[in-house]
Amino acid sequence: MFRVVGGLTLVALTAGLVMAFGVAPREVTQGNVQRIMYLHVPSVWVAYLAFAVVLVASIVYLARRLDGADRLAHASAEVGVLFTGLTIATGSIWGKPTWGTWWTWDARLTSVSILFVMYLGYLLLRGMIDDPDQGARYAAVLGIVAAFNIPLVHFSVYWWRTLHQPPSLMKPGPGTMPGVIVAALMVNFVAFSLLYVYFVAKRVRLLQREAEAAA
Amino acid sequence: MPDNWGFVLLAYGLAAVVLIAYWRRLVRRERALETESRPAVRRT
Amino acid sequence: MWKDLLVERRSKETLNALFFFALLLLFVFQFAVGPDRERLAGTLPGLLWLGFLLTGLLGLGRTFVVERENDCWEALRLAPGDKSAIYVGKLAGNLLLMFVVEAILVALFGIFFNLDLAGVLPALIVVIGLGTVAFAAVGTLFAAMTSQVRARELLFPVLLLPVQAPVLLATVKATEAVLLGEPLGSVAHWLKLLGAADVIFVTVGVLTFDFVLEG
Repeated sequence: MFRVVGGLTLVALTAGLVMAFGVAPREVTQGNVQRIMYLHVPSVWVAYLAFAVVLVASIVYLARRLDGADRLAHASAEVGVLFTGLTIATGSIWGKPTWGTWWTWDARLTSVSILFVMYLGYLLLRGMIDDPDQGARYAAVLGIVAAFNIPLVHFSVYWWRTLHQPPSLMKPGPGTMPGVIVAALMVNFVAFSLLYVYFVAKRVRLLQREAEAAA
Repeated sequence: MPDNWGFVLLAYGLAAVVLIAYWRRLVRRERALETESRPAVRRT
Repeated sequence: MWKDLLVERRSKETLNALFFFALLLLFVFQFAVGPDRERLAGTLPGLLWLGFLLTGLLGLGRTFVVERENDCWEALRLAPGDKSAIYVGKLAGNLLLMFVVEAILVALFGIFFNLDLAGVLPALIVVIGLGTVAFAAVGTLFAAMTSQVRARELLFPVLLLPVQAPVLLATVKATEAVLLGEPLGSVAHWLKLLGAADVIFVTVGVLTFDFVLEG
């Protein structure tokens, strides 16, 4: 089963690369550097997906005490942090030639950075508790608090950035992008989502095997 | 507007390195667990 | 009954220490930002909330220290009745502590940085009140969690600060406006965000405290 998903993921990723470099045109205002978007935007999508899964799995764990839910939360948080880090890195790399600086406190990078440290803290918490039951419970509580914080982060950072300073970055919204670019983006969305599923599934199985080995 | 392929390569390269490294970590840890438990599991 | 006496005794010694800490912070801020009055005026709201945050981290982190030191954790767990009541009780205690500390800090700020606070006091109180509830709600919950964990002094701020980021943004922006003499209506959106944060965090705290207290 893993091989099927893995294989599909590879195919999708390849398709994504082809779309990003072969099919999608050179962007008018930014030049080819804009192609980083096909990496950056799907990454942030996967990150949010991952943290949504953490929320659901955490609630399920507290309600039903299913070990599988705990493992899913753990795995999803880990993969989420991975893709959040990737989002920040690719965003920064995209920013250097575009805005002339490696870092800027624009809305997206700031929000994602807060998410990054929140869920990194989640992983840290898990690492610091030896008792598996206590670890699962506490992580679940933190997972719920963190998830509910996400909309607060969004609004506060957005207002912080836009009400006193005009936005200095042109971010293409889906409505204003030509169809080819949107298509390339979609393919990469699918590819990254599959990669998320593959990673989480593998991680969950690893957690299961680790738990069995420790028993 | 210069094309900045260097940055594009940097971004994609970094992504590839990170994702592949994570995948290898998962595979390696799983293999390590398998070899640990194998003596107990072997039946032939 | 014994609990009330315990709380009172702990609060007094904590309060003294926190008051001293707040005073020291004031010196540190002055040294860090320097004698330039203009620059100081700009950073004042931020410094004030930094002061609240740092003192709060120290004060809130100790919420369950008494229980832990005296091995009362089990007693808390086995106490009959709704565990959420313990959370609300601790939260109320923490709020009281924070408000006293904040009052002292505001007074000290007014004296040392020569502010005219008379007119803006009611508005300031509203902002501080809303912000502190959010801070204390999450802080009390996390204090309970980390009290049972390794490296608790490290983990408590590490977990609390990212979650407080949006609240901090909101309170600093709102305080800035208030100190400039603007009406509360001009920062209504920030106040609404704080209100939402208060509701969310207290609710999550009440609902999940049971799970933290277990085992």
